[in-house]
Amino acid sequence: MPRHYGPYGGSFVPETLVPALSELEHAWKTARRDPAFQRELHRLSSTLGGRPTPLYFARNLTRRGRGAEIWLKREDLLHTGAHKFNNALGQGLLAQRMGKPRLIAETGAGQHGVATAMIGAALGLETEVYMGAIDMERQRPNVDRMRLLGARVLPVTTGTRTLKDAINAALRDWITNVRTTHYLLGSAVGPYPYPAIVADFQSVIGREIRAQSRRTFGRLPELVVACVGGGSNAIGTFRPLLGTGVELLGVEAGGPSGSRGAASLSAGRPGILHGSFSYVLQDSDGQVAETESVSAGLDYPGVGPEHAWLRDSRRVRYLAVHDRDALRAFHWVAEDEGILPALEPSHAIFAALREARRRPKRSRIVVTLSGRGDKDLAVVLRGSG
Amino acid sequence: MDLAEALRAARAARRPAIVPYLMVDRTQSRRLSARVRALRDGGATALELGFPFSDPIADGPVLATSAQRALDHGTRWADLLAACRTASQILPVAVMTYANPVWRHGLPKALEGLRAAGASGLIVPDLSLEESRPWRTAAARARVHLVLLAAPGVSRPRLARIARASRGFLYLVGRYGITGASVRGTSVALAPILRQARSAAPTLPILVGFGIRDRAGVARAFAAGADGVIVATALKERLDAGASPDSIRSWLHSLASTRSQPSAVA
Repeated sequence: MPRHYGPYGGSFVPETLVPALSELEHAWKTARRDPAFQRELHRLSSTLGGRPTPLYFARNLTRRGRGAEIWLKREDLLHTGAHKFNNALGQGLLAQRMGKPRLIAETGAGQHGVATAMIGAALGLETEVYMGAIDMERQRPNVDRMRLLGARVLPVTTGTRTLKDAINAALRDWITNVRTTHYLLGSAVGPYPYPAIVADFQSVIGREIRAQSRRTFGRLPELVVACVGGGSNAIGTFRPLLGTGVELLGVEAGGPSGSRGAASLSAGRPGILHGSFSYVLQDSDGQVAETESVSAGLDYPGVGPEHAWLRDSRRVRYLAVHDRDALRAFHWVAEDEGILPALEPSHAIFAALREARRRPKRSRIVVTLSGRGDKDLAVVLRGSG
Repeated sequence: MDLAEALRAARAARRPAIVPYLMVDRTQSRRLSARVRALRDGGATALELGFPFSDPIADGPVLATSAQRALDHGTRWADLLAACRTASQILPVAVMTYANPVWRHGLPKALEGLRAAGASGLIVPDLSLEESRPWRTAAARARVHLVLLAAPGVSRPRLARIARASRGFLYLVGRYGITGASVRGTSVALAPILRQARSAAPTLPILVGFGIRDRAGVARAFAAGADGVIVATALKERLDAGASPDSIRSWLHSLASTRSQPSAVA
């Protein structure tokens, strides 16, 4: 497992966390090779999670684009409504293996919090989720779901009161309770080994895309698109395709037009946040900038270190889509396909449609539809007036 | 004076080293020199100057809030350098801040700037041993002591590597937890960790920090074999409550008057 991706990644953490990080690294390295662990992961992925998720031909969206075919990788159909299930299940099993009775997690949109609450309930682990006070407001249904699943939701009222400060709060809790607690980090960010572990558990998305594309249309798609906040669904989508000729596009949250939004790769510069070296939106003193995005799940000033390297090495192209355009794409998917997408992948769908227009009808684009949009109804209804 | 010299002198005299912490805040800059003098007169051996960071993951509510306030007041890197220039006339200064502000200014440039402003040490709570090599090189070039941290739960070989790589002193985190004694945290038996660190780096002073707020805490650290303590949150609470330089001086004096224990190894 790589500790660094080019110059990025590493482990910038208070020394108190070092023993826990090595314990986690060791647990994952042995679990990875343990057929019993892999069997259990596979069994629960399918019987509890509903994997594999379908690859759906979006005929009407394709017609709207008047170009390349648009296919949706339906992670929104996964149990708890988003790709976050993949990682929560995997790390939950790891926590159990390490004998840690307590899970903590951060959540932005609430999808990772719900997935963690679910796995906590399923495996009998005490679960507490840190969530920014602003996010609790705008993603209310997920707060209720977490509580109904038996988790405690702890409001974070410091700093930006969004995902960034929820991670700070979770890290502080972990520093204090490290011997009894596993920090179930939800994105491909943080210190080594988290980016590697999260990418491993999420890579099932890209593996299925690869196999389903070959089965369905006899070859790989020309382009694969995913949204990037911390970057877990994107790295899971991209990684199994890195060794192929498939063109890869990561879509960040551009926020309101005229702002930098939350687009760390497009508008940030290299820095150290939450334990790893990657792109960070920051000022000239290295203070981390406030971000702004209509989607709580992308509203984060950093990004996973592997994405930083994929950007610099130009294997993946990254661009930002503004709030307004993501909302437009939300309505297109809803009205054309009868699917309510989360606002996060709505960014990716907007970019995919723009790409589709420029491409011949015979080519194919796969977009990872990372989550469903029920949680976003209040924001969307407000946004449409 | 240089940080390491001051700590070594205190140790040679069997005098407990007390290192108080002040957060740089541009609205407080006029009061800085009176405060540092009060700390010196109260028996401080050196001063830790904190530069606020937007995401201080090792800090409890008191220091995290004061960092946020300092940033809201518009505190900049230049204010840190100005504070170093003022404070280093009175006490040896070690700067404490998170990795990103230093990185953002460029390691060599940041360290040379700190040195030129009179700082002789740098403490970075989120810099692990694994990532520290370029930092140690740049610090050595700039003649700044890069102080590394050790914490409970550390393995013996790792502790030895940290102690040998640390300069100025070894910062021993005294418990599982973040800064500030009123927040949850579990104290641990420090004596075995101190003994192991001492045998790996016999001449390096060892200071204990995190959660030390009164004479009893100071006494426990010395009894376990530490050369000194770092006092941050408890001092910050007093300053926030409007304590005068005089009362700060006598409070610190009461901490510092704890008798030093003969070191178990020496």
